[in-house]
Amino acid sequence: MYKITLALKYFLKRKISYFAVLAVTLCVFIVVIVMTVMNGIVGDFKQNNYKVTGDCVVGTSSLVGFAYYEDFIKILEQQKEIAFVAPVIKSFALIRPKGTNTDEALEILGIDPNSYSEATEFGNTLFYNRSSVSDIFKVRSDPNLVGCVPGHSVLKISQTGYSDRTRISRYAYSISCFPLTAKGAPADAGTSMVRTKTFYVNDISRSGLPRIDGSIIYLPFDQVQKLCGMDGPTKRISRIHIKFQPEVKLRKGCEIVRSLWEEYSLQKQTETQAFLLGTVTVQNWKEFRRDSIAPMENEEAELIVMFGFVGLTTVFIVLVVFYMIISHKSKDIGILKSVGASKKDMIELFSIFAFFVGLLSSVIGLFAGWLFLLNINRIEDWLYKKYEFQLWDRAIYAIGDIPNRVNFTILLIIAAAAILACLVGAFFPSWQAARKHPAEILQVNQL
Amino acid sequence: MEVLLKAEDLYKSYKMGPTKVKVLKGANLTVKKGEFAAIIGASGSGKSTLLHILGALDRPDKGIVKFNGQDLNRIPARDLNKFRNKKVGFVFQFYHLLDELNVLENVYLPVMAGTSIPGWFLCRKWAKNRAKELLEQLGLSERAKHKPYQLSGGERQRVAIGRALMNEPVLLLADEPTGNLDSATGNSILEVLESLNKAGQTIVMVTHDERIAKRAGRIVKIIDGEIKGA
Repeated sequence: MYKITLALKYFLKRKISYFAVLAVTLCVFIVVIVMTVMNGIVGDFKQNNYKVTGDCVVGTSSLVGFAYYEDFIKILEQQKEIAFVAPVIKSFALIRPKGTNTDEALEILGIDPNSYSEATEFGNTLFYNRSSVSDIFKVRSDPNLVGCVPGHSVLKISQTGYSDRTRISRYAYSISCFPLTAKGAPADAGTSMVRTKTFYVNDISRSGLPRIDGSIIYLPFDQVQKLCGMDGPTKRISRIHIKFQPEVKLRKGCEIVRSLWEEYSLQKQTETQAFLLGTVTVQNWKEFRRDSIAPMENEEAELIVMFGFVGLTTVFIVLVVFYMIISHKSKDIGILKSVGASKKDMIELFSIFAFFVGLLSSVIGLFAGWLFLLNINRIEDWLYKKYEFQLWDRAIYAIGDIPNRVNFTILLIIAAAAILACLVGAFFPSWQAARKHPAEILQVNQL
Repeated sequence: MEVLLKAEDLYKSYKMGPTKVKVLKGANLTVKKGEFAAIIGASGSGKSTLLHILGALDRPDKGIVKFNGQDLNRIPARDLNKFRNKKVGFVFQFYHLLDELNVLENVYLPVMAGTSIPGWFLCRKWAKNRAKELLEQLGLSERAKHKPYQLSGGERQRVAIGRALMNEPVLLLADEPTGNLDSATGNSILEVLESLNKAGQTIVMVTHDERIAKRAGRIVKIIDGEIKGA
């Protein structure tokens, strides 16, 4: 009992303990804010990648695509584990905004809006037609025109312009593709080499992923198939997006699709375009979006390493402070040992002291962090208005508001880590204190 | 009288830089129950070292200390802590009170140190009453809530005596108990020790002052680490 009483009294009456509390509080405060925000950013980023991908993708990166997809889609649709399937054609095109002479190379994605919105969450990225996805390529003013959906950064008009739908539909793009045969040769060799068609902007997609929103135009599936020369007797596509039933685990679902694909591609070995099937892979959404997710995950890993250093700094601060405290408490150690305290008691006494430091620091640090997070967007707005300074550069981080949802599990982990860091930091000085010889400490000439 | 403490052929040396200082060179001492023995010696003669060894605060390099016939060298470290807590009470020259605790808490500290948390809750009332009784006997009832820095030297030493007596130890070891006090205050402390001894308390006191040693029932001289006239 005296250990708790004494530890509490040391803690309350030694000014140096407050420095330890301040240092650990600052560490907790920083970790809470950065962890919450980065966790939010990484979480949102992964979620956005999932939204545009679905659960699983069967596809090829080859521009000529792969054939015999229709039968495979039928097989997939028969599986009870699979909820939705959407064929997609991906290619590159030269885009020339109407009324200009400048071309830009962009990615085009041929989709069937209904199936693609079911297999992914494309519908939720739309500005106008969220509730009527099937209409995204139908131009209201003229049914003979074909619509398109550019990513919001592709369409270079101000955000306020989005609200005026009639203004949006005045934007049109002349899109030119280089159709290829199944073997990769120009499909229209000897003629124009290029197939061109004009599409009118009928909606805008905002996925929250800068690369996608700034480089992709969604077009009707059959139109892209024609533009890319994939509409021959043996039709081709680039990939199939798949959504599993909610209860199906990602790994299990992908294994089912993989084995189905292996079996199917073997069956098609004798077909004329079977050579295209070898380039097809089955990937889950994380593998498919690896190029985008991996850098973010690296950043997350670097962050964890950085926090490891913050933890080490905390341990070091606590170690130094406790070294100072304990060196001033030698006499007490001698007294306590003279009344029967053991080495273990000494370690426990200073560990309880360290626990108090960690506990109070965690409480203050978490509360201050939570308070700061509640107001982080207001603070950033103020900084931006006053100094044009953003805490997280929006050109790099695809976020609107800074994510400030507090994850209580993370808070608990941070508090536990802070207390543990204090205990670890206090252990060595406590152990040294415990080893002190009472007779030497209490000698008159040692005082 | 029955022998309480017997030290046989004690040797102890300390390292001071590169040199080894021999403090005790075969010291022998016998203390009987109820005795008030004073060990007198010059500064550096080894008297405090001997006292620390007798109270199991230190171990000799060689030799035996028997307490009630039990060899202290053979007692494991954990039980030695218990021995210091229950059987021995120390009174030091510089009182050695804990600054963070008040007078009452300082007195009942040995009970707290010797019990677990549930044990403390069971005996807390008894301990506080016993500490209050001791403070009353020592004339410090009014000072129970004061901090050590608010007390005079004599009062602090009386608190230290109270703490030493808290667990009703068989042996009271006093290391220059009046060494830091003026003669009048020192005299009052010696009167306390005398009255304790009259009540049956065994006391071993270390001093360098012959006048103080004369207040004890027996004087033992320590010269250069050896006991003369034990």
